[in-house]
Amino acid sequence: MSVEAVGIPDAEALYQQAPCALVLTNDKGLILKVNQTFCHWLGYTHEQLVGVRKLQELLTVGGRIFYQTHWMPLLVMQRSITEVKLDFLTADGKVTPMVLNAGRREHQGQVFDEVSAFIVADRIRFEQELLQAKRQAEDALQRHVVLERELNRQRELAVDRALFAEQMIGIVSHDLRNPLQVVSMAAQYLRSLDMTERQSTMLSHIGEATARSQRLINDLLDFTQARIGQGLAVNRAPVQLDRAIAAAVGSLRLLYPHRDIVFSASDEALFCHADADRLAQLLGNLVANAMTYGDGTSPVEVRVSAAQGTVEIAVHNVGEPIDEAELGSIFSPMTRGSELGREVRSVGLGLFIVSEIAKAHGGVVEVVSSALAGTTFTTRFPAYASAG
Amino acid sequence: MSVQARNNVVVKGQGPLTLVFAHGFGCDQNMWRLVEPAFAGRYRTVLFDMVGCGKSDVSAYDVEKYSTLAGYARDIVEIIQEFGEGPVVFVGHSVGAMAGAMAANLSPGLIGAHAMVGPSPSYINDLDYPGGFTREDIDALLSTLENNYLGWSSAMAPSIMGNPEKPELGAELTNSFCQTDPDIAKRFARVTFLSDSRADVRELSGPVLVLQSSDDFIAPRAVGEYLTGVIADCRMVVIENEGHCPHLSQPAACIDAIQTFLTHTCGHLSA
Repeated sequence: MSVEAVGIPDAEALYQQAPCALVLTNDKGLILKVNQTFCHWLGYTHEQLVGVRKLQELLTVGGRIFYQTHWMPLLVMQRSITEVKLDFLTADGKVTPMVLNAGRREHQGQVFDEVSAFIVADRIRFEQELLQAKRQAEDALQRHVVLERELNRQRELAVDRALFAEQMIGIVSHDLRNPLQVVSMAAQYLRSLDMTERQSTMLSHIGEATARSQRLINDLLDFTQARIGQGLAVNRAPVQLDRAIAAAVGSLRLLYPHRDIVFSASDEALFCHADADRLAQLLGNLVANAMTYGDGTSPVEVRVSAAQGTVEIAVHNVGEPIDEAELGSIFSPMTRGSELGREVRSVGLGLFIVSEIAKAHGGVVEVVSSALAGTTFTTRFPAYASAG
Repeated sequence: MSVQARNNVVVKGQGPLTLVFAHGFGCDQNMWRLVEPAFAGRYRTVLFDMVGCGKSDVSAYDVEKYSTLAGYARDIVEIIQEFGEGPVVFVGHSVGAMAGAMAANLSPGLIGAHAMVGPSPSYINDLDYPGGFTREDIDALLSTLENNYLGWSSAMAPSIMGNPEKPELGAELTNSFCQTDPDIAKRFARVTFLSDSRADVRELSGPVLVLQSSDDFIAPRAVGEYLTGVIADCRMVVIENEGHCPHLSQPAACIDAIQTFLTHTCGHLSA
């Protein structure tokens, strides 16, 4: 079945009026045949081009270089090129970008290059906008990379400085222990001498201040050990927990003679594997915390219990609850109650060390605080360390 | 990374004398496809792609290193040290010939002779020197090349149209031939058209053949004549050809000229 072509223009008319430029050249680029569309676009007459001009001569300088270095080799090697953009110059010198396809064919022993082209002025504008956006994105990325490098450098510097500072804390607190020991021993010696009441009062001030300094220094040492070393060292040994904590409470009562500390144990003979000295330190820090932040008149309660292989040491005080915003970071070093207008009692390492001691025992410490129930710090850890 | 992988070095022929073929700006070692096989029977032939071109390792493209011809020349020295046997004959096209001249001066004794196809030591006119272009021409050219983004990328991976007769390239190559990262092409264009290798060519001592096209808009005849004037041992052969790639459009004439040069001038060279 065929459709009869009635009134359709002949091939030559179709060629001349095609909506794209059609050019036939020899293998040197000399124009042999060209359609009206091409002539019209570039402002030349048919006679000015055919047999006179080479295709490459109608290009800008950049286009001619491209023709020589890319177009020609591609045509020779693969005999076809598609979608190459070249800038043509019109008869009056205006740059007209076109996209070209070309194929090389032999016809009766002669080589011909067939070229079709169309103008892409609007596309070029779009392409250039895209290119500009790409360049901007690349610049932004480059700036970002530079910035990130600088941030990393600053971070490394900060980490170095922090490490140095922590090591410094460790060294200084270690070195302060000896002179404090001398002060403490000298004060003890003075106690055996006859003194006036005033001298005796002064001497007990010296004793208390020395003891407090020693605790602070021990906290600092533990802090640096936990931060720089492998965590706090604990020596677990069989301990009767109720007795060990009762003894520690006894010592704390001497330290806080004007405050009540109530002790209770859920059972007698609560045995576990733990570092008794570290637990006494843990309790000391929790009780000190309760004394500082509690209401000052109600007793501080210490409870020991055990259930299902887990032991628990809880310290409770009545008073203003801990601000909810602070609960999350309360065990971080250098954190302390912000509401305190009173004398600051420590550098904020106490609760950090409490949590490190709990961790070293394979356990955790939790805090619950409300206006009604008061504040309770609960330390839980397995009674017996699992093997390994 | 090996020199072989970096520059996609391919050793083809075997023989007592090594010919190293260097492509110029645009495309890659396939540009020698119509010339190199004529020599592979009697000579050791070594082909390579400049870094950033053809099948070279693009990850080796160091913006700093390849911002001057010296970076390319250092690569050539390494290629010859590893794949050449004895002083080699360096067959370079266009800017490739200039990189070869620089390599010869960097490492004397490595290159015994040069066959330069369409060479130009500098494209910009300078006092008596007839480069063929003004600085404004070159700047306009570079900006044209830099703005022809699609011309570098997608168009360089063409598909075969219709039913091409006798394509010279195997189908496996049609997608890589002339394909270049647009950014690298842009930088290589700057290196090519802004370098001035006149001091390098003046220092060349070995015999030099200049294959000059009769009508080459990029490297005009006056430039070939300049080279014969300043190089101590230089002969020029003019090939009837229009364009910058006589090794593609007039391969037989190029082969004859190079063969004559090898027979009469390079007899003293061999491994």
